[in-house]
Amino acid sequence: MTTRISIQQQDFDLAEEYQLLRQSDSAVGAVVTFSGLVRDFEVDPEVDPEVDSEVDSEVDSQDQSSTKSAIDLLSLQHYPGMTESLLEAIVEQANQRWNLIATTVIHRVGDLAPKDQIVLVGVASQHRAEAFEAAQFLMDYLKTQATFWKSVRRNGEQQWIESKASDQQAAARWDGSDNG
Amino acid sequence: MINLLFFGRLGDFAKQVPSTIEASTPAEIRQLLTAEFPDLARELDQPQVLVSVNKMIVGWDQPLFDGSEVAFLPPVTGG
Repeated sequence: MTTRISIQQQDFDLAEEYQLLRQSDSAVGAVVTFSGLVRDFEVDPEVDPEVDSEVDSEVDSQDQSSTKSAIDLLSLQHYPGMTESLLEAIVEQANQRWNLIATTVIHRVGDLAPKDQIVLVGVASQHRAEAFEAAQFLMDYLKTQATFWKSVRRNGEQQWIESKASDQQAAARWDGSDNG
Repeated sequence: MINLLFFGRLGDFAKQVPSTIEASTPAEIRQLLTAEFPDLARELDQPQVLVSVNKMIVGWDQPLFDGSEVAFLPPVTGG
């Protein structure tokens, strides 16, 4: 089992990472990769979406995106040392659940712009089912357990991103299930 | 001395907090910060905030020793 974990400022090359997974062993029959990107819009927590439907009809139609506003920058903070250990533990859990041949987790930190790559999860296995499932598991756990914090800058102001209940629910689906 | 770290939004509330403190548990640290930094203490009281000692998630009553690194961790938002 080959594991590659990297927390880095610099960008990664999906094709290169795919080749590493593909070439990791001649038993590899499936490679699944997921890459997460910076969106140019993030929900603005200061604007309550519930209020949106009550917006005065005189409001310019361009303001219909009032629950979302364009970001200039996304910054990722992590806890050096601890984050690496948590990612290793998450990969180890995936290895216990599925028969994996190689796993790659790359997460960028620092300042990123819209369309930039943030995260790569790649899994190589003999068959596709375990590669698909393990990749989803790794992302679900990474989003809820690894010590990264996102903030966005819009109009010169920094705002921390709130954690999402939907991410917690996505990770919870793996609890108690027997995918061994 | 105990070394203190505040991550994510907690860092915004902790800009004036000294980087070291004398305390025997993370709960005591929170208590000690209440008088001078009430906004931060209120944030630390949120049930979603986790605490780590030497990079391991622990309970708030974990005993601390000289040189321990205590970090306060709001809900994570990576990926």
